[in-house]
Amino acid sequence: MTHLVQVLLLGITLGGMYALMASGLTLVFGVMRIVNIAHASFMMIGAYISYWAFKLYAVDPILSILISMPLMFLLGLVIYKFLFFKITGSPRYGELTVLLTFSLALIIEGILGFFFTNIYRSTNPSYATDSILFGPFYLPEGQVYATLSSMGLIVLLWTFLLTTRTGYAIRATMQNRAAAQVVGVNVELVSMVAFGIGIALAGASGSMIAYLFPFYPAKHWEWIAVLLSLIVLGGMGSLIGALIGAFALAISSAYVSFFVGPTWASVTFFLALFLILLIRPQGILGKKMEG
Amino acid sequence: MAFLEVENVTAGYGNGPDILKGLSLKFEQERTYCIIGPNGAGKSTLFRVICGLLHPRKGRAVFKGEIISRLRTEEILRRGISFVPQDRSLFPDMTVRENLRMGGYILKNRRELKDRIEEVFRMFPILKERSSQQAKTLSGGEQQMLATGRSLVLRPTVMMFDEPSLGLAPKVAQGIFECIHQLKNEGMTIILVEQNARKGLECADWGCVLDLGKNRFEGPAKKILDNPRIQELYLGRKPQDRQEDTA
Repeated sequence: MTHLVQVLLLGITLGGMYALMASGLTLVFGVMRIVNIAHASFMMIGAYISYWAFKLYAVDPILSILISMPLMFLLGLVIYKFLFFKITGSPRYGELTVLLTFSLALIIEGILGFFFTNIYRSTNPSYATDSILFGPFYLPEGQVYATLSSMGLIVLLWTFLLTTRTGYAIRATMQNRAAAQVVGVNVELVSMVAFGIGIALAGASGSMIAYLFPFYPAKHWEWIAVLLSLIVLGGMGSLIGALIGAFALAISSAYVSFFVGPTWASVTFFLALFLILLIRPQGILGKKMEG
Repeated sequence: MAFLEVENVTAGYGNGPDILKGLSLKFEQERTYCIIGPNGAGKSTLFRVICGLLHPRKGRAVFKGEIISRLRTEEILRRGISFVPQDRSLFPDMTVRENLRMGGYILKNRRELKDRIEEVFRMFPILKERSSQQAKTLSGGEQQMLATGRSLVLRPTVMMFDEPSLGLAPKVAQGIFECIHQLKNEGMTIILVEQNARKGLECADWGCVLDLGKNRFEGPAKKILDNPRIQELYLGRKPQDRQEDTA
């Protein structure tokens, strides 16, 4: 019984982080219908920002979110303006976004590899390897901090979406783009801001990955596969779905890892992906696609 | 100079063909217009041009002497033209109140926005009862009320309705027409596109028949209703019905 609870706790502490990664990805899909294959490579950029901030100036990895987020937000705006702005309205928009973000992922990987080489890196703040003990349970300290910061950011994101004028505009555009235009929302501008936010969230997750999981430029392929299964499970474009998908899969993969073996943990995600696509292709909270 | 006017407008989507082909129409203040015509005639496209969702390839739209066909939707809304699109087109996961808030999206003053929403609630008390319900849980008629209320938040002088009775039960549709009638009595200029052409024309002062992107015929709504040729072509009345009538 102790073991079962212990594994659950480990799953939860990972779930919060997955939720943050998935929120950025699903936000971008929800507002712009962009399946951002490059999401995880933006996370890698965030990871490298944190890594160098730590290495050169001893900036705490979690605090380095304050650096990586604004930088990534700006990068997101620029990329949206130059890459996606032109293809909105194209009859092949859906296909183009996949191809564009796929090549973007390759380009980012190439640039990171060129500058930082392909060796494994990891930041190592003191809390990266410590544990918090209480009673018979232990929690990896780094993971706890990462999940708490992630949840904090998600709360901020939700507060922004639910209370501000721009937040209303983003939600309106997610729910009905045509109606948003009718009430005078500049959907192009809103899309650009939402893309920036999505990329900033990727950057923040990257800062946390940097000390939890060793990374190198091509590591993003493993992450994007996991993230896509999270948001497909939750329902693409649904923020609550992303939360549910993230926790459900983090917890079940923790159990699989415990009962079957760690090598099988990652299989959980793809097994879940297959099952959900067979049983409920729109995901838990997703809406059926039209056309 | 008419209150609102489209002059020689040619418009279409993307690289597609022209939907409107040199269309000219005039709308006078405080009158109600009903535009009828078959599918693909360009009725919705006309609305999209007037409210700035689609910029014409040729020609222009003029409102109170100002050319508006190059303005963004936000600027057109500020000038007092509102559009209630087809299929209600709400924000399904937002509450009724949030939908109304979105109607006043271009208003920056929160207090003003709150007052305007209360105004809409006075006009449609049922919306107030449902204010914290998600829009998707409303009935068809309530959704149409919400879409109308959402446009009214900006206190427009011109309102365009695209197929307001589409998919509604006759009794509910009747309620919508009564609401349009009330707005008309309050001095609003109303332009209506209605698949239920007869009902729409009964509600209007002036009617026009749009076909293949052009204005085929216009005149007092009553005259159009009584015109046998138009009845045959656009009001779904067969020639033999007419013979039976005269027999």
